[in-house]
Amino acid sequence: MGTFIDAAVTSLGGGHVFGRGALHLADAAARACLERARHPADELDLLVHVGVYKDFEIAEPALASIIQEDIDANLGSPPRLGHHGTFSFDVSNGGCGVITAAQLVDSFVADGGARRGMIVAADADPSPHTTQDFPFAPAGGALLISHVDDEGGFERFDTRTFPEHAGQFETQLRWEPHAGRTHRGRNVLELFEAPAFAATCIEAGTLVARELLAATETPAGSIDLLIASQYPPTFARELGRALGIADDRVPRVAPELARTHTAGPIAALEAAIASHRFAVARRVLFVTCGAGLTIGAALFRTPPATSFFAG
Amino acid sequence: MVAATSWMLADAMRDARTPFVARIESVGASLPERRVTSQELMASARHHTRIDLERLTGIREHRMCGSGETSLSLAIAAARDCLARSRYSGTDLDMVIDASITRYVDDSTHRFEPPLSASVKQAIGANRATSFDLGNACAGMLTGVLVLNRFIRRGAIRRGMVVSGERITGLGTNAARSIRSIFSLQLASLTLGDAGAAVIVERAPEGHDGIVLAGFTTLAEHSRLCVGLPARHHPGAQMFTRARKIHEVAMADGPPLIADILARAGMQLGEIDWLIPHQTSVRAIRAGERVLGEQLGEHPKHLVVTVDEYGNTASTTLFLALHRYLDDHRFHAGDKVMLLSVASGLEVGVVVFVMDELEIDHGHVH
Repeated sequence: MGTFIDAAVTSLGGGHVFGRGALHLADAAARACLERARHPADELDLLVHVGVYKDFEIAEPALASIIQEDIDANLGSPPRLGHHGTFSFDVSNGGCGVITAAQLVDSFVADGGARRGMIVAADADPSPHTTQDFPFAPAGGALLISHVDDEGGFERFDTRTFPEHAGQFETQLRWEPHAGRTHRGRNVLELFEAPAFAATCIEAGTLVARELLAATETPAGSIDLLIASQYPPTFARELGRALGIADDRVPRVAPELARTHTAGPIAALEAAIASHRFAVARRVLFVTCGAGLTIGAALFRTPPATSFFAG
Repeated sequence: MVAATSWMLADAMRDARTPFVARIESVGASLPERRVTSQELMASARHHTRIDLERLTGIREHRMCGSGETSLSLAIAAARDCLARSRYSGTDLDMVIDASITRYVDDSTHRFEPPLSASVKQAIGANRATSFDLGNACAGMLTGVLVLNRFIRRGAIRRGMVVSGERITGLGTNAARSIRSIFSLQLASLTLGDAGAAVIVERAPEGHDGIVLAGFTTLAEHSRLCVGLPARHHPGAQMFTRARKIHEVAMADGPPLIADILARAGMQLGEIDWLIPHQTSVRAIRAGERVLGEQLGEHPKHLVVTVDEYGNTASTTLFLALHRYLDDHRFHAGDKVMLLSVASGLEVGVVVFVMDELEIDHGHVH
């Protein structure tokens, strides 16, 4: 028993200001993902949102619950006892959110305890007039993971932090008083990225990936696809080169998705699906990076029969 | 695993796919020294109101952070307290989950990245642990326990910690500026208190009962009934809550869900020795227990209420209450304890565990 990836879909901000909000992007990606996989929303047992930059920096409730309502997944009032409902919550692990959530969803889905889980990632500048240098593309993504009775799926996860580099990427919402008046001012979203951040991500990502491959006795040359974070923009390509994985096995995302934050790995996966590389891949290596400094990696083996794959 | 047709996503007892049992190994807490009574809080309101907050909610006082006390410092203090009561050190932990709603790292700075869990992990020396933050409003810590329970039952990890620090009384301070009547959408913000809590969940030795049931669901039709976000023109945050509607939904939908999940695990409410519900107000807790008992035809033996002295401490309430009752030696070995979350989302979560000697030893600091 294991898991398979049903579909991976991204969404991009529209022309209107309200079309670029993180919730709009998350809802659009979630709906498109279900549509592409040809599954209705009420088949979801789990919905996990991993975006960091939400509209108005909303802290409560979990954005996943709002997405669940918006896509009409088992709204549940009253709950239909005898049927299954949907459980939604948020995970935050910066650029590694998708891999962390995949590990959680896999823990419920792989043994059939739940049948289907969806990971939704979306980030957009929460308040453009009070943000300093927001570096990420406004983009959303959704990844649908389902139970399969065959062997296959996520074989191993490894998420590690490198606290000595914790200061290389930091974002915070800081109260900025007007002229020393404590209760007059504004909240400002500040982002700091050290010049060495990209290089450190590549170095740490290489280390964790090599150890993961060694632990699973998987030669780097046998990796058919490297699905990686899209921020920093050089991460995926440079990581592939450091690991000895050919460039054509590292999917290229569309230019407008090149600086995608939490949805970055979903964008790469979508590109691999569109090019039909994923359908024939046997071993897929996921490597993500983010603040902390955190590296999340996973080895995915596709189930023997992939004809059901809704690419 | 409970049958797939359960409305709640749930685990119950052991089966072939999940050969291990998880148990709560230790519980920690941290509280700011400063105490503010409901009367003092209402005295700070900008507008004259006739609201008797203590009479309305049963909350006598709240703990409130002083300068330098933050979500992160409360979380770290609770994690350290938890480890001090544990047989383990930080290096023994396989997973650290931070479930704080508030993410203050100083008096007015809310951190997005890196995750707070990375800082907690470093502070307690949990060098091997996988770490991440989990957000599920006031149900966050219990959701973390559900996650750890799953990983431990499958054998993926041996033990992990869920931790949270809530510097959340700033919402009450902001609410006090605008509240004019009990119909204000910010009224619930006046019930909040600051606190940290932590819990270690581990694989139970063979033959121990540990966590016998864990289940969660999201009644998302009500996802927007309570929304918390940074204030636009003041430091800190604001929360807008349709408390009456949340209470109505919880009263209508909670009991059938709890009855269903208990039945699927072969349990009855009357077997529960201690019900620890999310701590919002004394009146809401007692009304909820009364309706639950009426609908299920039996009551838990004891109802745990600590909101009167701490206020609603958001994601930490269940484990702060558990910590307090462990400190007071209220439990006996074999007692069945039900932790019940009802939170924004609208989240309904249940964890039932059997108290064993190790947990009761909580008072002994190792």
